[in-house]
Amino acid sequence: MGKDFSNISGRAWVFGHNINTDQIIQGQYLTLLDYDEMVKHAFEIRRPVFASKVKENDIIVAGRNFGGGSSREEAPKVLMHSGISCIVAESFARIFYRNSFNIGLPLITIPNISKLIKDGEIVIVNLLKGTLTVKGKGETIHGKPLPERMLEILKAGGAVPWYKKKK
Amino acid sequence: MGKTIAEKILASHTNDGKASAGEVIEARVDLLMVHEVLGSRIIPILKEMGFKKVWNPNRVLVVNDHWAPASDINSAEIHRRNRNFVKEQGIVNFCDVDCGISHQVLPERGLVVPGATIIGSDSHSTTYGAFNAFSTGLAATDTALILATGECWFRVPETLKIEITGEMSERVMSKDLILKIINELGPDGANYQSLEFHGSTIETMSVGERMTMCNMSVEAGAKCAPMPINQDVKFWMEDYAPTKKWKEVTSDDDAEFVDILRFDLHTDPLEPIVAPPDLPTNGKPVAEVAGVPIDQAFIGSCTNGRIGDLIMAAEILKGKKVHEGVRLIITPASKATYMEALERGIIKILMEAGGIVTNSTCGACVGGHLGVLGAGEVCISSTNRNFKGRMGHPDSRIYLASPATVAASALKGVITDPRRV
Repeated sequence: MGKDFSNISGRAWVFGHNINTDQIIQGQYLTLLDYDEMVKHAFEIRRPVFASKVKENDIIVAGRNFGGGSSREEAPKVLMHSGISCIVAESFARIFYRNSFNIGLPLITIPNISKLIKDGEIVIVNLLKGTLTVKGKGETIHGKPLPERMLEILKAGGAVPWYKKKK
Repeated sequence: MGKTIAEKILASHTNDGKASAGEVIEARVDLLMVHEVLGSRIIPILKEMGFKKVWNPNRVLVVNDHWAPASDINSAEIHRRNRNFVKEQGIVNFCDVDCGISHQVLPERGLVVPGATIIGSDSHSTTYGAFNAFSTGLAATDTALILATGECWFRVPETLKIEITGEMSERVMSKDLILKIINELGPDGANYQSLEFHGSTIETMSVGERMTMCNMSVEAGAKCAPMPINQDVKFWMEDYAPTKKWKEVTSDDDAEFVDILRFDLHTDPLEPIVAPPDLPTNGKPVAEVAGVPIDQAFIGSCTNGRIGDLIMAAEILKGKKVHEGVRLIITPASKATYMEALERGIIKILMEAGGIVTNSTCGACVGGHLGVLGAGEVCISSTNRNFKGRMGHPDSRIYLASPATVAASALKGVITDPRRV
């Protein structure tokens, strides 16, 4: 929706492997009906400073199997609500992957990325090519281009607008 | 080339009758289960969609199970919204807070049928694989779209075949087996894949034991775990769904599997397994963690709160007392399970041993209520996830184990091999 998918730029928050949805947002907060309230508890256990320090357009960079565990759509949603513009990981858990695109949050898979990026670096992601560059460094790091269906949903602005268009 | 169970079930639910691993397809959904996420997240999405009517009110089950009965004002509001939705939409299958956990209630209502496509707004919806169904978890947006259309797109999964042969010894349970298997696979070892469990061990398992295996397959990332049928499933269908028509779905001998893993319990006997914090895939033989002091022992959840689990616990606890200072909490998986345990005298045994028996709900497993952990507390639990803070305080610790190991540990106050009590 007017978004430039070839140029998503933001400050990196780097995480390790197997970050599950309980770590992103704990089960006890799922009954909160207001995302402004829920966002205060994002990464509460894993990274307590996240909620107060995260800024608009920040990017999460993580290791393998990001988003495993519960099916809760609140996990990608709370991250998007906090300002996160994109998540780059070595691999994603299945339901988290689908949920993110459904709400219009882009994800991209790049091998070894959690070892290549330092916390706080400014990274530029090209979703169409499946690449990432670090600001101030020339090298382009190559990952997997997005599957067609995911790009289609993303371009529509998420699964609900995608569905309305299709209808 | 032959087909796997997942490919065949999905193919039978597409317009052109085709589905091969790796393809993206549109498939009809036979049954949709939604729980509290309906009131909290799906209804707002439906409004945004301009939704009017559910595609088929006979093919939806709404359940209030996670915080049942309501543990706070927010969950009460979510339950109220669900009740209203059920009324407005004329939903036929509704389980309010008195029913139990979705994954137990669905098969008890005869709603799970071999060969069906079943979607739940819950990651443990893989459980229905025990009944030879293609079942998986999706979240709010996808289930909102299914409510409107009765269809969903899927990437047809590759299949990993797991063959298990040999008998399990006394007080070793299917929970131990699945903890061992997911330990070998790792937390993403089956990501996006369908798990097909085969072999004599699976053929002779009770329905409840099979459900535990399929339930926890998701902890290795599996999308679904449709098992071949066995005699116990046939009996179950006769008892619980006598009017339903169904046909078993099998995989072909020449189906393409990404890999075939084999476990021979005869040559390599299975020990009771315990998964220390903070991953369900951390499983190791109980001997390696025996002696760890516990504050709470929990038997319940969609993984291990069934009648067979309660019978096993009662066998170990009968005539004995829970160790001083340990809370033993038992949450039967459903009202029907609870009633059966009552009639069989199980509840009395558990309570006389010092156990606290709660109503049926997800409760403590999601850190919701009825057994939330405090700072620094240790719980041995028959549930499915030991993530940091899952059952309460971030500094509490969860060890996953079978109901037998949980019961034995409750008696001794430390993690204990159930074969030694």
